[in-house]
Amino acid sequence: MRRQLRSRRAPVFPHSYRYRLDDQDEVNQNYLADEEEEAEEEARVMVVPNLEEEEEEEEVKEEEEKDEEEGQGQPIGNTWWRKLQIMNEYLWDPEKRMSLARTGLILVIYFFFYASLAAVITLCMYTLFLTIGPYMPTFTERVKPPGVMIRPFAHSLNFNFNVSEPDTWQHYVISLNGFLQGYNDSLQEEMNVDCPPGQYFIQDGNEDEDKKACQFKRSFLKNCSGLEDPTFGYSTGQPCILLKMNRIVGFRPELGDPVKVSCKVQRGDENDIRSINYYPESASFDLRYYPYYGKMTHVNYTSPLVAMHFTDVVKNQAVPVQCRLKGKGIINDVINDRFVGRVIFTLNIET
Amino acid sequence: MGQKTPRIYSVELNGAKDMKQTDKGDGKDKYRGLQDNCLELRKNQRQEHLTKEIDLDDHKLSNKELETKYHTNIVTGLSSTQAAELLARDGPNALSPPKETPEIIKFLKQMVGGFSILLWAGAILCWIAYGIQYSSDKSSSLDNVYLGTVLALVVILTGIFAYYQEAKSTNIMASFSKMIPQQALVIRDSEKKIIPAEQLVVGDIVEIKGGDQIPADIRLLFAQGCKVDNSSLTGESEPQSRSCEFTHDDPLETKNIGFYSTTCLEGTATGMVINTGDRTIIGQIASLASGVGNEKTPIAIEIKHFVHIVAGVAISIGVLFFIIAVSMKYRVLDSIIFLIGIIVANVPEGLLATVTVTLSLTAKRMAKKNCLVKNLEAVETLGSTSIICSDKTGTLTQNRMTVAHLWFDNQIFMADTSEDQLKQTFDQSSGTWASLSKIIALCNRAEFRPGQERVPIMKRVVVGDASETALLKFSEVVLGDVMEIRKRNHKVAEIPFNSTNKFQLSIHKTDDPIDKRFLMVMKGAPEKVLEKCSTIMVNGQEQPLNNSTAEAFYTAYMELGGLGERVLGFCHLYLPADEFPETYSFDVDAMNFPMSDLCFVGLLSMIDPPRSTVPDAITKCRSAGIKVIMVTGDHPITAKAIAKSVGIISANSETVEDIAKRLNVAVEQVNKQDAKAAVVTGMELKDMSEDQLDEVLTSYPEIVFARTSPQQKLIIVEGCQRQDAVVAVTGDGVNDSPALKKADIGIAMGIAGSDAAKNAADMVLLDDNFASIVTGVEEGRLIFDNLKKTIAYTLTKNIAELCPFLIYIIVGVPLPLGTITILFIDLGTDIVPSIALAYEKAESDIMNRKPRHKKNDRLVNKPLAVYSYLHIGIMQSLGAFLVYFTVYAQEGFRPSTLINLRVEWEKDSVNNLEDSYGQEWTRYQRKYLEWTGYTAFFIGIMVQQIADLIIRKTRRNSIFQQGLFRNKVIWVGIASQIIIALILSYGLGSITALNFTMLRPQYWFVAVPHAILIWVYDEVRKLFIRLYPGSWWDKNMYY
Repeated sequence: MRRQLRSRRAPVFPHSYRYRLDDQDEVNQNYLADEEEEAEEEARVMVVPNLEEEEEEEEVKEEEEKDEEEGQGQPIGNTWWRKLQIMNEYLWDPEKRMSLARTGLILVIYFFFYASLAAVITLCMYTLFLTIGPYMPTFTERVKPPGVMIRPFAHSLNFNFNVSEPDTWQHYVISLNGFLQGYNDSLQEEMNVDCPPGQYFIQDGNEDEDKKACQFKRSFLKNCSGLEDPTFGYSTGQPCILLKMNRIVGFRPELGDPVKVSCKVQRGDENDIRSINYYPESASFDLRYYPYYGKMTHVNYTSPLVAMHFTDVVKNQAVPVQCRLKGKGIINDVINDRFVGRVIFTLNIET
Repeated sequence: MGQKTPRIYSVELNGAKDMKQTDKGDGKDKYRGLQDNCLELRKNQRQEHLTKEIDLDDHKLSNKELETKYHTNIVTGLSSTQAAELLARDGPNALSPPKETPEIIKFLKQMVGGFSILLWAGAILCWIAYGIQYSSDKSSSLDNVYLGTVLALVVILTGIFAYYQEAKSTNIMASFSKMIPQQALVIRDSEKKIIPAEQLVVGDIVEIKGGDQIPADIRLLFAQGCKVDNSSLTGESEPQSRSCEFTHDDPLETKNIGFYSTTCLEGTATGMVINTGDRTIIGQIASLASGVGNEKTPIAIEIKHFVHIVAGVAISIGVLFFIIAVSMKYRVLDSIIFLIGIIVANVPEGLLATVTVTLSLTAKRMAKKNCLVKNLEAVETLGSTSIICSDKTGTLTQNRMTVAHLWFDNQIFMADTSEDQLKQTFDQSSGTWASLSKIIALCNRAEFRPGQERVPIMKRVVVGDASETALLKFSEVVLGDVMEIRKRNHKVAEIPFNSTNKFQLSIHKTDDPIDKRFLMVMKGAPEKVLEKCSTIMVNGQEQPLNNSTAEAFYTAYMELGGLGERVLGFCHLYLPADEFPETYSFDVDAMNFPMSDLCFVGLLSMIDPPRSTVPDAITKCRSAGIKVIMVTGDHPITAKAIAKSVGIISANSETVEDIAKRLNVAVEQVNKQDAKAAVVTGMELKDMSEDQLDEVLTSYPEIVFARTSPQQKLIIVEGCQRQDAVVAVTGDGVNDSPALKKADIGIAMGIAGSDAAKNAADMVLLDDNFASIVTGVEEGRLIFDNLKKTIAYTLTKNIAELCPFLIYIIVGVPLPLGTITILFIDLGTDIVPSIALAYEKAESDIMNRKPRHKKNDRLVNKPLAVYSYLHIGIMQSLGAFLVYFTVYAQEGFRPSTLINLRVEWEKDSVNNLEDSYGQEWTRYQRKYLEWTGYTAFFIGIMVQQIADLIIRKTRRNSIFQQGLFRNKVIWVGIASQIIIALILSYGLGSITALNFTMLRPQYWFVAVPHAILIWVYDEVRKLFIRLYPGSWWDKNMYY
């Protein structure tokens, strides 16, 4: 194929071009060149500019003497002229009636091909969105049963601090304060309604109607609200830890049996924790905070919290604590997922 | 039937025992040739190449000189101690087996060949990644270790598979060791001993008898009626007589040397061992064969090319995205893991195994059609063959003499020469025929083996030489029970054929009870027979033999001889009853009966006729663009005649000589361009330079090489290969093995072939029939086409496997497709379908197109790669992404949320990641969702691969032209895809390590519209290709 090409081209570009092809013949020994060789003729010319320009520069010097024999009268070392001619050829190859325009045509065809593919996928995605409501997810089975998270949380579930060194616990306090900003009584009273406890706060009506949210005031957390004790007990070695259940659209605990929280030592001596105070005292998430209607309409929804006040924990040793949710619809013993229905953390309070 | 032929063959040779005087070597030449004066000269040339290498003068030495040379004694032999010393010096008398690559090397080669290196790299990167993770965090997950192990397992398993396949196909054939005779009778310490032939040393005195294989090269010291079959060495199928006289300077020609591994057919002989093991003539040829490099098969080149393309794509994309990932501030560790993913996605892990299976399926199919393929890759080679250098005897011809023409009553009659001649249709009413048939039946010593009444005449085993067998079978067909006729015409005297007389004569009582005369019948070389005649029978009447009848005789003789046929003359004489009364005792030595003034009856000519399937096969080859060249050791006239009758030289083409004869000008004056055909003899070939040979090969489409030595075959093969042709060579002798090895595909004859030839060949024709080669060509071309389809099918999904990674890196969505899942596609759902494509029927008549050009028509060409990667592959990715997005969106993560979610998504500490609806997800819940995404993507690819499979059934025709249901295996493939996917999703969905989950049934159908789109798009593509052949579209979209 190459040989033909060369002989066909030779009269048109008696100088320079021929050698380039010659060199390629050698390159053909390796497969990459083969790959290129088999390529469609037009496309090869397309490829040529970026692939071979550097190559060309080196070859050109070697070929200069030979070029002289061609008697084209080109000044020695006039590589620029040659380059120009090669470039010119990429733009318009008179022999093959091949030009950038042709290359452009191919690009245009591909452009339209991909554009129509894009149109198809857009159409498909559009159809997909038609089937998916913006307010309620289609399925929730993967996110159920609810997971659990604790605050303060700083990438670690180990609470290591020295009571006498505020630096070691100050960040917990800051984190809790920050987290509870949204629970400030004033804010809650302003934004949310005070709904009756012990029953679901069901708001019928259109999906797209904005839903009201129940108040969960910071003051519900009593000693752990940071209102009376701004250090949340950390300064006394009685840390408060807040427990939050993951939001799930449409999740409802059993009526009359709200989800309860209970903590105990996970491994080791059960007496390592002698007492825990829960706030609210019921240690449960009140039913009025359910169901959740999704963030589009239930904008001000405030996740209920349960605060655990570890008032008497063994000091100067790591105590693994496991807090579990209990209630209907709650699973807390998934082996692979240590955050579904339970959370495990360690307390290591030094004095 | 294939089983029977060799028996006939060997029995005929052995049956020649009774006919001591039949020196066929010379007889043949006489029968055949009228212009055979330079035969001796040619014979010399034939051996020329061998002679060059043979430095042997033992045949010139006298017995005494030999004794001194080899320190032995002709009577007492060597002493045991001497023998032991020599054995220690020279080594055992056995051919050193061809250098075998150790099995472990072969195995390791499979482990590192093809894509294996890439996968090993992937596996090692996995382990390195784990090492880095482990050093920073002792509790890091073992995922990478698992992945690395799985990758290593994949390499090892596919390696073992390929090794097993290869071992299975190479073990089919027996090896050289079979050629070595087991025992030899040797005289040592004045005693005759039987020792294993391996222990023979030079100077040993050995005794051989009929049926033995000659245990080493021996110089005969004593011989009695010894004949050997040298066919495996020189290609001459006639038995050669052996004596202890030095008859020729050339060791191959002289009668007093017997060659290792040739067979002693009859008689006994004593000889001195002069060469053992590899130093024997056969040993030298065998080492010549192993010295000839095995050409890499075209398909191996194609696969290598393809592997390079894919590996090139994999590595360049991998490195590119490694750089992108690093510059996007990904951690290097993560980037390495991306790199692994990209490699795994790009490498079609199952493909090479599939190709192997596909090839072995075809090999099996070919074996059923009598082509036994030794080397799996050779399956395709026949398909790309552009020149076939074919033997004549046995391959193109039936390898048995058959009566072809008769001449009596001044007329030439044609006889039926097909394989199963049931009746002869020529005019049998003439009185001359009655006489001629009687002579044919009576003047013949060949006999059927008893107990074959039920066997068709042409297949019966005959005791007798080739010509007599032909005559016997001919008369049996025409006259009926020949044995009965002979019984009725009791034979009273006989002179068997011998080379000095060149005739055979017998005297019979006639079966006519009234006629008391004896009938003398004679057959022999026509001119010898005619000499003895004074009358000739025309229309049953004796007429004096005058000039004009003699002229007619010579014309007929020349004509039949010109057809390359062996001509016999027949005459008879009724002995006058008064001179030869019933009691007369004939004495064959005293010749007390007249030997002149006989009555000439007719001529009969015989030829080894072409197989009836061959002309058709040659036509097919020709329409398939394959040039068939005949290379034979036979006489040019015979070769040309056979070439003409089978179509190697077509009816209307002429050689230079023909034109010269027609125009009545000198050969030099003929314009060579006018001649389409050429008959080149070995002698001419010897004088040619490479360029001249090239010119002959390129300028004549129809070529016959005659009188060539086996070594010249090698030269011819090389010449053809210089034309960039893929050359197939057929051969059967040991001497052919270098050419067989040199050829792109060597084809040995299963029945007549020697073990050495079979060993050197890539393929064995079990029925020795040329037509089987054509079947092989067809299968080879089909497999090439189908491999294209398989590869196109397999490459397509690589993009769909790769895109998830690229999107994952660039856009930061949760990983859509896991590495393990990719392996389940490549080695699970896709395996059976890609094999199923091997069963696809040809789209059009593949035997009507030219053989593919070795360098231009690649297995994987640019349109194939572009169309698979950038068209269907992209469409497939979009479809699979649609399923992925559907699953995520319906579970709560809309596409807009997914963007750039990757970092948070993968953080183990984030257990309350918010989705588009404000729901919060734990890490494990997200992981599970991710696996569901994998499964969804997997199902998306699978569904579209079904469409891909269907569109790959054809490359040009519409699916509906091809028939959707003709290839049932495709549907097995589709069923397997679906079943494997169902099992993975619902059966093994609970095993977390596999990363599959149970997918809601509706997600299985999300990609169906895309699958249909792919089908429609491909139909449109094919439609345009059919509508506008040669257009830009055709050139770029037809793979």
